[in-house]
Amino acid sequence: MAQAAVTSEAALERRRRGAAGRRLGDQVATGLLWAAAISVLVLLALFVGYIFFLGIGSISWQFLTSPPSEVTAGGGIGPEIYNSFYILIMTLVFTVPVALAAGIYLQEYAKPGLFQTVVQFSAESLATVPSIVMGLFGLLIFVYLFGWRFSAIGGALTLTILNLPALMRVTQEALATVPDSLREASMSLGATRWTTILRVVLPSAIGPLTTGVVLIAGRIFGETAALIYTAGVSVAAGRAAYDLNPFRPAETLAVHVWYTHAESVVPDVARIGNGSALVLLVMVLLFNVTARVVGRFLTYRFTRKS
Amino acid sequence: MAIAVPPRIKAVASRAHRSEFVATLLLRAACALVVLSIAALIAYLASEGTKLFTHDHVSPFEFLFSPVFNPEANHPGSLVFIVGSLAITAFAVFVGGPFGIAVGVLLSELAPRRFVDVMKPAVEVLVGIPSVIYGWIGLTLLVPLIRTVTGSNGFGLLAAGIVLSVMILPTIITLSEDALRAVPDSLREGSAAMGATRWQTISRVLLPAASSGLTVAVILGVARAIGETMAVQLVIGNAAVLPTGLLSATAALPTEIVQDMSGAQQGSLLEHALFSMALLLLLIAMGLILAVRLAVRRRA
Repeated sequence: MAQAAVTSEAALERRRRGAAGRRLGDQVATGLLWAAAISVLVLLALFVGYIFFLGIGSISWQFLTSPPSEVTAGGGIGPEIYNSFYILIMTLVFTVPVALAAGIYLQEYAKPGLFQTVVQFSAESLATVPSIVMGLFGLLIFVYLFGWRFSAIGGALTLTILNLPALMRVTQEALATVPDSLREASMSLGATRWTTILRVVLPSAIGPLTTGVVLIAGRIFGETAALIYTAGVSVAAGRAAYDLNPFRPAETLAVHVWYTHAESVVPDVARIGNGSALVLLVMVLLFNVTARVVGRFLTYRFTRKS
Repeated sequence: MAIAVPPRIKAVASRAHRSEFVATLLLRAACALVVLSIAALIAYLASEGTKLFTHDHVSPFEFLFSPVFNPEANHPGSLVFIVGSLAITAFAVFVGGPFGIAVGVLLSELAPRRFVDVMKPAVEVLVGIPSVIYGWIGLTLLVPLIRTVTGSNGFGLLAAGIVLSVMILPTIITLSEDALRAVPDSLREGSAAMGATRWQTISRVLLPAASSGLTVAVILGVARAIGETMAVQLVIGNAAVLPTGLLSATAALPTEIVQDMSGAQQGSLLEHALFSMALLLLLIAMGLILAVRLAVRRRA
């Protein structure tokens, strides 16, 4: 009896120690996981704060509106800002209809089969093409084959192909959030599939759709590698830098950040790079915030769900 | 027995029918455009990327395995860039991978709802920051830091690897969180009922159960890293020499393309070599997509 009590005492002690060890391990691991996540937040804050700190001194009305300089100090980024928006809008005009249509087809119409598999696989493959490779494809097609030289439209079309798969995905995911009961109700009232999509499904999915489009707009705004050899690294001189002619070289803000450092010979590289980076970051952050706010507003407006 | 349909209803119905037909046709055309894009891209790059071998008669073996990159003397060996690309990608995966998975685990298993609501938008902002800004931060902050600490000139594999590690974080975090959330709760409950701590449950039950999803996360992280151009170009040093250590300046496939394309004559050997590098990148990306498919199929 006494003998048994002793062994169980020892076993209990062993077990207690094991449990303590496991609890310690659990706490250490939990601490490490939290540390990892917090450091991501800190890193993000650091990045944004750092770019503000670097660039804020370069910002002036003159910097934001005047043309870039080729050799002397004092260049601005006016045409680059204009080109960024010009190419962004052109790209969206091309991308949104095609991606919406393809996404709607895959999500609402396609039945499992060869066509669906091929389209889905093409979209996935397109999504992993590195943007520099897409840039070279744009160079081959728009610059060489079509003979457009470096042009705003060549850049926009390259970005269209680059961003199609992402926007298709956004569309598919947005449509997937709409419950089937809505489709069934609409079709039981005699609406065709297409009418149902136009009048019921798309309005219900408008919130996530808009969020997705605006987030992708932010990505288009910041794209660099695909534009260097399609839209070029220069802007037209004088007033021509601000016209609507799509067949002119159109360096964007993101390209300008890279170009100033990598290739240009102006003496105030740091000032221009820092200022351009800040403007670029602020624009991208604005796109992010807008995406969220507008998406939420539209969801509420069209479905009364927050 | 046929029911007589009033002509007005018939007209409406046939109009609806017609618009349905036209709509489907247009939707299919959009899909076809996607297929056409990737087909044209593969065809053009394959044709342009093989001219080095067919037109300039460089052997593929030399292109892939020779470290001598001297296009003027007909020696477009690209081993340096291939090694550079593989090295920085491996660095990013070994540093950013575990880090990102850790954050994914936290978001899926431990963090309260409120924290997830802060973290998710933060991760999306990280995705949204243009790569040239990552490069700019690397160039103006990281490179001088490495220079001060190590006494090297700061540019090189280490700087590029660190920048890439940060850049693949969002991909890895999001996908590994999704993979863990897809593990059924019955496994968590079963493990807890056996007396396992949370960490034991995570490390011995959930991570193995989510392994195929985590594999996909890492593969897509690799895909993002291998094609990254601007951020790497600004910090890697752009020297066509084989790296001897973490601190040596070297170059990668995408950075070499962006660096030399502007000076390449149309139809020159240099241009052909750069297109061959682009083709190689494309093949790697395609290979990674197939790997994702395999990883997903293993789960099914």
